[in-house]
Amino acid sequence: MTLVEFPAMALAAVVCWLVGSLLQIPARTTKALGLLSWSFMISGTLVLVWFLTSYWIALERPPLRTLGETRLWYATLIPVVGFLVESRYRIGWLKYYCMGLAALFLGINYMNPDVFQKALMPALQSVWFVPHVVVYLVAYVLLAASAVSGWHNVILNFRDKRSAKAESMSHYLALLGFVLLTFGLIFGALWAKEAWGHYWTWDPKETWAFISWLAYLGYLHLVARKTDPKTLQWYLGLSFFVLLVCWFGVNYLPSAQNSVHTYSG
Amino acid sequence: MAEKKSTGKAGSGQAGFNGAALFTLAAVLAGLGIELMTTGGGLAIPGWPFNLVFLLLFGGAILAVGLIFREHPMVTWLGGIPLGLSLIVGLALLSFVGGVLPQESVVNGVLQHEKFPTGSLVASLRLDGMFSSWPFALVTLFFLFNLGLTLVWKTFPFRLANLQFMLFHGGFWIALSCGLLGNSQLQRFVVPIDEGRATNVAYDRDTERALHLPFSIFLKDFQIDQYAARLALYDPRTDQVIESNSKQMHDISKGATAEWPGVGSLTVLDYFPDALPDSHGIPVPVEGKNGFPFARVRLEVGGVVSEHWITSGGPQLKPQFVPMGDYYIVMAEGEPKAFRSEVMVMGEGGERVAALLEVNKPVDFHGWKLYQMGYDEKAGRWSTLSLVEAVRDPWLPAVYVGFFMIMAGNLLFFWKGIKKMEEA
Repeated sequence: MTLVEFPAMALAAVVCWLVGSLLQIPARTTKALGLLSWSFMISGTLVLVWFLTSYWIALERPPLRTLGETRLWYATLIPVVGFLVESRYRIGWLKYYCMGLAALFLGINYMNPDVFQKALMPALQSVWFVPHVVVYLVAYVLLAASAVSGWHNVILNFRDKRSAKAESMSHYLALLGFVLLTFGLIFGALWAKEAWGHYWTWDPKETWAFISWLAYLGYLHLVARKTDPKTLQWYLGLSFFVLLVCWFGVNYLPSAQNSVHTYSG
Repeated sequence: MAEKKSTGKAGSGQAGFNGAALFTLAAVLAGLGIELMTTGGGLAIPGWPFNLVFLLLFGGAILAVGLIFREHPMVTWLGGIPLGLSLIVGLALLSFVGGVLPQESVVNGVLQHEKFPTGSLVASLRLDGMFSSWPFALVTLFFLFNLGLTLVWKTFPFRLANLQFMLFHGGFWIALSCGLLGNSQLQRFVVPIDEGRATNVAYDRDTERALHLPFSIFLKDFQIDQYAARLALYDPRTDQVIESNSKQMHDISKGATAEWPGVGSLTVLDYFPDALPDSHGIPVPVEGKNGFPFARVRLEVGGVVSEHWITSGGPQLKPQFVPMGDYYIVMAEGEPKAFRSEVMVMGEGGERVAALLEVNKPVDFHGWKLYQMGYDEKAGRWSTLSLVEAVRDPWLPAVYVGFFMIMAGNLLFFWKGIKKMEEA
């Protein structure tokens, strides 16, 4: 499958998520409709998994090179976090945010289409390519989910509807995200040594990866200090902006002119 | 991480945080003050063996202070979370400045302030050379002190329950301290070699100073593989490439087709990756990689069919393209897929090692790592010059020990996190 099929596949995924979400309303009273609703929502993600797999085969390289391709992965993975959270915590609202974010990223890809290009520069042809980028993407997905739930909890707190369970969920999402962020950072350093001769050169992307890692390191130490979880929800919500700079914002910074990490798309 | 405890009165409460924030601010201001006084001269990391002596003294001091003055309020504050957090924020803010402002680079042995002229406030405070500046060094030093103290307290007495803490924090301490101190011994040289020649002359990446390596490299052969050449429809008015209905860059191969709605369509009748024009100007395939890519294409524009040869050209051959309506069908040379140098490395003792250098596949030789770095990009695939990078980093094993300790601690952290999550 190539990018010609992308708009149809993206639309199919969004429609599945939308129908599945709408079916959640009558599903409160009718159990059978609940099953149907989940079938639609999971199908939306399966459509993207199918597209991503066949796109990978057609490209003859991992679709992890351009920003557009990372957005595609993001859109595929983030609803999964919402679904898993619901099955683990019985918290239903996160999945809607996740599907909404996924739809937003698919929309951005629709507005800024990539060009189908098989070429992969020699520096990216490495066994580290897939683990480094995928680990980072999963980290970003988990930390995005923790940020969204952080903001949701901030609103709940304003409305005096504080939920310890929801705060616990945002904490564990951040914790798992931090673990993967750490692996991604070190995999990147080990790869850089093999590809570019040194594991750390303070390239702007590396600097921002370090800043985002420090932001979540700070979070874990605030938790260790028994900081009020109400305050921590703000922290989680805001920390994600640092990750966004690292993901794509860094390309627009004055420092990026000498970066080896700038991507198109 | 999450189990770190406040260990003393001075480190607890808002007062502890205020003091820690002030301390961090003072370290940053002191660093900036030193930079201002030295007009942004930065910090030179001591070379061998002083870097090791410094590391041993610093590590020893942390160990002694941590064990002897464990209960002293000042020491518990120095190793407490409030100061640790303030220094993390300090490091993050300094890195933020370094991650936003263009950082200096060295070209032809001269320090280049990319955007900020020497004497400007940014250059004088070394904000454009943040990661070798005094404020960054001071904050890192205090951070390592703080981290080191907590590590000592978690390690003595030894408890298996603290293993994750020790691995993660200890690994970070080792990687950070050895990475920074080892930087003064990091050697990165560029070795340009022509095909069929041997050399031991290398150039420092920063200063471009020439020197002789303790080994020489003979370049037997340099090869570049390219992706297939591509077809594109070029709009000379906008200087842009028009996307076809299949939204792809068309790799050229015999039988490939492309269509641009409202403009025309194209079929590749023949494709020779390496060919030379004969006396009649007709391309004929040649052996090896001495030719140029040629394609014979059939165009259909508004019902009119025509056939043409196109090429991306190269040294001594102009590109050939063909008009299609108001546009042009052009051939773009394929991007480099892989490049490699077949070399013989010869040591001073007479030992010889045959090696193939390729991007992402460096080769070790007597403590050096040899990398395929580049080639003569102007000559492209006809380059007979290979740029090899020779890197020596004696502190690398220590840094890697740190990395693997962090990863081991991280795995345990993940495991504990999952268990706690299930209990929650």
